Amino acid sequence: MQDYSRTRFLIVDDFSDFRSSVKAMLRDIGAKDVDTADRGEDTLVMCRNKRYDIILHDYNLGSGKNGQQVLEELIAGKLISHQCIFVMVTAESSQAMVLSALEHEPDAYLTKPFNRASLLQRLDKLVERKTALKPILQALDKGEHAAVLAACDELSRQDKRYAPLCLRYKAGALRELSRHDELEQLLTQLLADRPLPWAYMALGSLLHSRNQLQRAREVYEKGLQQFAMLPGLYDGLAAVLEALGEEKKAQHLLEEAIKLSPLAIRRQMHLGKLAMANEDFEVASKAYRHAVEQGRTSRFKNPENYLGLSQALTAQAGDGSLDKRVQQEIGQTLGELEKTYSDNPAVQVRARLAHAQSLVKSGDAAQAKKLTEEAMARMTDLPQFFSAEVALQVAGQLRDLGQPGAGDELLKNCVEIYGDDPAVLQKVAGQTSDPAILGGGKEAVELNRQGVRCYQQGQHDEALALFRRALLLQPKNISIALNTAQSLLRLATGQGSEALLGECRACLDAVRMIPDTDPRQERYQQLRQRAFGA
Amino acid sequence: MSESREGLDFSTVIASTVHDMKNSLAMLTQTHNQWIRQMPEALLHTREHGVIEYEFARLNGMLVQLLGLYKLGVNQLPLQPAYLEVEDFLEEQIARHFEVLQSRHIEARCEVEEFGLMGVFDHNLIGSVVANIITNSIRYARQQLLLRAWEEQGTLVLSVCDDGEGYPEAMLAKQSDYVLGINHSTGSTGLGLYFSGRIAELHERNGVRGHIEISNGGPLGGGEFRIYLP
Repeated sequence: MQDYSRTRFLIVDDFSDFRSSVKAMLRDIGAKDVDTADRGEDTLVMCRNKRYDIILHDYNLGSGKNGQQVLEELIAGKLISHQCIFVMVTAESSQAMVLSALEHEPDAYLTKPFNRASLLQRLDKLVERKTALKPILQALDKGEHAAVLAACDELSRQDKRYAPLCLRYKAGALRELSRHDELEQLLTQLLADRPLPWAYMALGSLLHSRNQLQRAREVYEKGLQQFAMLPGLYDGLAAVLEALGEEKKAQHLLEEAIKLSPLAIRRQMHLGKLAMANEDFEVASKAYRHAVEQGRTSRFKNPENYLGLSQALTAQAGDGSLDKRVQQEIGQTLGELEKTYSDNPAVQVRARLAHAQSLVKSGDAAQAKKLTEEAMARMTDLPQFFSAEVALQVAGQLRDLGQPGAGDELLKNCVEIYGDDPAVLQKVAGQTSDPAILGGGKEAVELNRQGVRCYQQGQHDEALALFRRALLLQPKNISIALNTAQSLLRLATGQGSEALLGECRACLDAVRMIPDTDPRQERYQQLRQRAFGA
Repeated sequence: MSESREGLDFSTVIASTVHDMKNSLAMLTQTHNQWIRQMPEALLHTREHGVIEYEFARLNGMLVQLLGLYKLGVNQLPLQPAYLEVEDFLEEQIARHFEVLQSRHIEARCEVEEFGLMGVFDHNLIGSVVANIITNSIRYARQQLLLRAWEEQGTLVLSVCDDGEGYPEAMLAKQSDYVLGINHSTGSTGLGLYFSGRIAELHERNGVRGHIEISNGGPLGGGEFRIYLP
């Protein structure tokens, strides 16, 4: 038996009898430091203030957050260390608990009722396991993925019982390190031997991220044949199908996944977005409504859900006018949005446009016009660019609201910032046929393409010359600016040239409005750190 | 009476009731355990206490099985296999029955062929199968219960043996009927075999499915239940 006299315990359950009974069991096995709580919301607060070693958390806590949601938030908010033992306690081995638990699995499940012997046996084993895994978990806490790999190899050599678990940590580390080929090989080998759900998920998402959509689809479909109850596989397949342009099928899959596991904000949000694209406004408004409700007390809340709900409700009316009840829901939703995100100017702009659109439908043209003008005024000094997706949406709204000039201006900007992405250009073409907008970035993008080729072949001087010419044409294009900055930085460090470094800094400054959500944000931050110093 | 339109779907009614019964039973067990803690030592090891503990475990096992069968029927039983340490798993099953074993003076132990033997199976589902078999064996065992595990050509074998009378001959002879659900005979044992067989079958590897076997004799001379997991 392990020594529990210095272990910090937390028991979370909504039944006080259960809490006191487990507390008594823990005292029997020597525990001295045992805290209790009755709501998942309390867990989050308590974990922020104290570092627990072992958490025994009930899954079904009545009306509040369930145990799985709490665990996800604890991990996402880094409120618990990887070394903490999280045990999910369930009233019955319900399917719901298995659901969606692939990404953030608890260390163990414990089914009620359990006796002291079971509890002690489980805890002893878990402590033993966590102790053996310590080098891996410490490296994970520090985010040192290369060290995770080394620790995995070491531990699987020492004790083969931990080999399967090490493989899983190894897969995670390889993904973090972007060592895609090794990861693919590892997962393929594993799946050839053993059909494990997590491995299907990992391989599917790897292939998707590498744009091997057809193969990703096959992996997910095969996984679903064997594990038809795992919503995570539905999510993965739906994302692949969406990328393949099969939005209807993707929507259908997500609806299935939501039947299995409705308490998932991001899944509801994804469904809302797909249903919007499919013009299935009823499903969209329902999904967004769930996402808004569940998001209220969650770190996964997202302004897109409020905006989506309002847009879906507006669109649901078709050519008819909005009835009063719907207008009221829209007003409430957007009011809450503006209040919740009062410090986010982009949200304020978009909330006003969405509101204006709904007012047009209810026949209040004057108020709609006023809000549109307010939005346009606020748009001039936003601290960040809109993402391409948002820019396209806002451009469409402006056109709808009788401001085609402002819409075109936004599209033009969008082409300058994101014009190297053919998918963005294609969508811009869906809104305008004006060659002055569509062709705006053509020459710069071509120069950038040539520059990348030169850079890859090691012709760094030629590459830089091409990037500079491209940037002169489109100074706000994020890709071109980052490529130029990278080339300049390379040269500047080689020559110790202050002038080149200054030029590099200017490039980065020109795109400092890169959205937080942009996938290139990390690269931008790295370049920035190197160019400006810590 | 056959005219009744829109009648209740009886299996759904049963399932949701069983669900409530299970929660209720959990509460009962929990409270009973708290009560026990306040009892004088002399009352702790009485026969009545043993009966209560045992019947709690049996009821719980049956309800889990019923729910499982319902979910199998509507194709909603999720399978979540993972690598597990077999000895750890078997010890856990024994720990779950600690009080019952103690009160019945049955010694339970487990033997695993090699240190660190690993298996790939659904912890929760195979756990409920083994728990039901143990509950059943406790009823027939005299003094001993043995859980064993070993590997046979890549297949994991879990075995539960007791030193009781063994399974009735008729049951041994027709075990495949029970497993196939052909013999709807009485008794939880028959249903237990069917449930176990179905759970074993859910475990598949390269086209090979799991199965179960019952026999008499074994290392303790009583009944032996085996589950084969590829």
